[in-house]
Amino acid sequence: MAAPTLPDSAIGGSARKRDGAALLTGRARFVDDHQPDGALHAHVVRSTVAHGRILSIDTAAAEAVPGVVLVLTGKRAAESAGPVPYFIDPAARGGNRTDIRCLQVDEVVFVGQPVAAVVAATRQQAQEAAALVAVEYEVLPHVLDAEEALLPDAPRLYPDWPGNVVMHNRYGTGDTDAALAAADVVVSGELRIGRSTTSPIEPRGYLASWNAAEGKLTVHASCQNPHQMRWMLATSLGLDEGDIRIVTAKVGGSFGLKMQGHPEETLVALLSILTGSPVKWIEDRRETLMAGARQQVHRFTVGATADGRITALVNNIVADVGALTAQAGWAMPNMSATTLPSGYLVPDCRIELDIVVTNKPPVNAARGFGKDAAHFVMERAVDVVARELGLDPAEVRRRNFIPADRFPYRTSTGLNIDSGDFVGLLDKVCDTVDYAGIRRRQAELRPLGRYLGIGLGFELTPESSDSPGTFVSGFDTTTVRMSVTGMVTVLTGVTSPGGGNDTGIAQIVATEMGVPIEWVELVQGDTDRCPNGFGNFSGRSMVVGGGSATLAARDVRDKLALLGSRMLAVPVDRVEVADGVVRVVDDHERALAVPDVARALLTRAFAIADGIEPVLESTRAYKPGNIDHVPDQFGRIQPYPTYSSSLHAVVVDVDVETGKVVLLDYVMAHDCGTMINPALVEGQARGAVAMGLGSALSEQLVFGEDGALLSDRFKTYLLPRAGDVPELRMVHQVTPSPFTMHGNKGAGEAGVGGAQAAVANAVEDALAPFGVAVRGVPLTPPVVLGLIDEAAAR
Amino acid sequence: MTAMRLTVNGVQREIDVDPRTLLVHAIREQVGLTGTHVGCLTGDCGACTVVLDGRTAKSCSVLALSADGSAVDTVESLADGDDLHPVQQAFWDEFAFQCGFCLPGMLLTAKELLESTPDPDDAQVLAALNGNLCRCTGYNTIVSAVRKASGCATTCVKESPCRKS
Repeated sequence: MAAPTLPDSAIGGSARKRDGAALLTGRARFVDDHQPDGALHAHVVRSTVAHGRILSIDTAAAEAVPGVVLVLTGKRAAESAGPVPYFIDPAARGGNRTDIRCLQVDEVVFVGQPVAAVVAATRQQAQEAAALVAVEYEVLPHVLDAEEALLPDAPRLYPDWPGNVVMHNRYGTGDTDAALAAADVVVSGELRIGRSTTSPIEPRGYLASWNAAEGKLTVHASCQNPHQMRWMLATSLGLDEGDIRIVTAKVGGSFGLKMQGHPEETLVALLSILTGSPVKWIEDRRETLMAGARQQVHRFTVGATADGRITALVNNIVADVGALTAQAGWAMPNMSATTLPSGYLVPDCRIELDIVVTNKPPVNAARGFGKDAAHFVMERAVDVVARELGLDPAEVRRRNFIPADRFPYRTSTGLNIDSGDFVGLLDKVCDTVDYAGIRRRQAELRPLGRYLGIGLGFELTPESSDSPGTFVSGFDTTTVRMSVTGMVTVLTGVTSPGGGNDTGIAQIVATEMGVPIEWVELVQGDTDRCPNGFGNFSGRSMVVGGGSATLAARDVRDKLALLGSRMLAVPVDRVEVADGVVRVVDDHERALAVPDVARALLTRAFAIADGIEPVLESTRAYKPGNIDHVPDQFGRIQPYPTYSSSLHAVVVDVDVETGKVVLLDYVMAHDCGTMINPALVEGQARGAVAMGLGSALSEQLVFGEDGALLSDRFKTYLLPRAGDVPELRMVHQVTPSPFTMHGNKGAGEAGVGGAQAAVANAVEDALAPFGVAVRGVPLTPPVVLGLIDEAAAR
Repeated sequence: MTAMRLTVNGVQREIDVDPRTLLVHAIREQVGLTGTHVGCLTGDCGACTVVLDGRTAKSCSVLALSADGSAVDTVESLADGDDLHPVQQAFWDEFAFQCGFCLPGMLLTAKELLESTPDPDDAQVLAALNGNLCRCTGYNTIVSAVRKASGCATTCVKESPCRKS
């Protein structure tokens, strides 16, 4: 007998994206599509020096441009707006901080920092006038390299700091010195992860409308975290939160970039308040490309036994976060540290981390959130051990993975991994990619001058984080409301910048309530309508958005069942709600349509619902398990409920004449626990892998010696294009999390680090006959040729 | 401001534009059709792709005035009321978009390819899509959608009209 087919709308089905028709037909409205009458346009005047004191700003010429309404300098802005509060305040973590302002008042610390803003009737007028704002600087020495910034005589970004370090942290337990001394083999290396960026195709943008008569501010924003933005604007502008409404409807991709904390958020709101008109600012691509995603140097030492068991890991990390930002990006390197040693049994670890500021634009939050770097480093280290011992890299991974029967497993750095089967992922990948076959083919082709390589990359992705005392929240809230007609409105605190969690949450609500998914409407990203929530980050939306929606949906379902059972004159434990009816479990003919039960409760409350509170609405928050903020004996906390995992294999063909790396095959074995909507999970993974491939092979933000961004458009900052990405063959493994509502673990971040690591390992494998040692990413053709030359010179 | 004429999705329009205005801004702001998106303004991402006098063009790289008298078709022209074009349908079925911001360009580029090459091979599909950036999907599903639409388009020739809801 064939298994019953799962409807696409059920949990586990691949329902199509709910917003598909609107997006496909051009009806969907992104922030720039809102064009209210009388809206003015803003243009930001940015610093042209990497470090300097603002001596004067002459706005006269700009003010004379027709259509110009306001030219705002930092000094005047500071009279009306306070500092932008941090998403994660470094001071809360014992680090150094500085006031982040919407426009700089006295000093600038990077090329591109906002110093003034122009508001005009049209975009062209604002742009023209902005070019006429004359800013005079006293140029100060600057530093663009994090390691130089650590030197005692380096220029200081923030004079009141003791140096250029935001914070120094040490992670890990055990005695690494003793473990290294006892190891059969000790290997070390240095890895440089280049500065890449997220660059969603829709840039950031804000449309602020100040209603002076009512004292109310409405902001349409391309933003992941509307409630946090409301709080931030209330704080920086001195308004009541209740007088601010943030609407973030359609967002054209975000990948962390659109987490709140950018100066322009406060700036655009202030410009609307000062002009009394709606003001729109849409970021230019050059501005989007200033935002970094990662740039780190890792120096590692690993000890291992002769049979390839890794016994100790020492890693010194210097993370270049550019100038400090109120956005969450500066905190990402912490996760690089704590995600080590990833999914491996390494008892003794010592991770030293310096988060360093330089005179470059800030690093902003980015998919992977620092965890990507941990995987790049750990996977390189495993391969280096394998090479040193003459063992196969797949075998070394197998020997070191945390066994599936050891979960939950607490790592040396303190993470409590909930569940998984990493060897299972390895087996699936090696089978699917035909690991042994590739090795044979590699051997056949080498004498012919073709250099194939295969690389593996394991990735452990802590998801749905909670950072105590910050707006990185590990819970979220959902309201489920049924109307008198039986239609369901879901209001949730999580947002969807494109990944489709709105569809997934609707599937959950429809399944839990027993009603058709077509009855379910979802509302996200509106602080006036949705319950307090925290938006989208850290793979949290289905874990906590889905979890809270489940709780609320069950409340409403239970109410329907209670009244329905009374109307059917059977005990409540004999009814169920399914297929849009309340029915007797063993007699489906006895059924009442859900809308009829809803109408009965809400119109005949006194007649038939004695003792039943006549409300078909529930607001619930969901806190997953496993998070533990009580420091243990080593001072470690545990900020994540659940850990997705994946294993990547990539087959490359390296042209040793041109240095070009061609990707022949890509296999990803992926485990995010229960999949609410497998097609959407796959979509997230494919996108993340493509982003990882870009940062591994072509994407790099390049700055001139003066600190100006040179790679300021897509002609010089090279995102992968269709022809650059091989078909990603995905294999799924499901190890449900014991700590989340449906056993789901979060999807969306896994892919960046795994792809970087697998590509780097594959390139080194391909070029093994030349003795090449990969030292970082991106592996652009010139870099690859340089590695070959360098190996030849040794 | 200068007066100019455009035939947009079959409708004649007269609009007044600043001579500096780009075609994409004229379409979005003067004509009022916001399905065409601005992604880079340097002709690299393709979110602003429209069909200009029968061929796809990146409307951010065209001055509005230089298109005076031209016919422009935008993403809004694809569907017939609630009936999606086969290319749109295939993109939906294959999960070939996430945020949807690059989608207008992808759809019009795919449609143009299939009109000139009803049964493209993989290399032709990739070559056609290489002018349009997507940051969400990793392209695999977009390629699948074009393949699927190609199958549908081939069927359409025989069994016209082919429009699924």
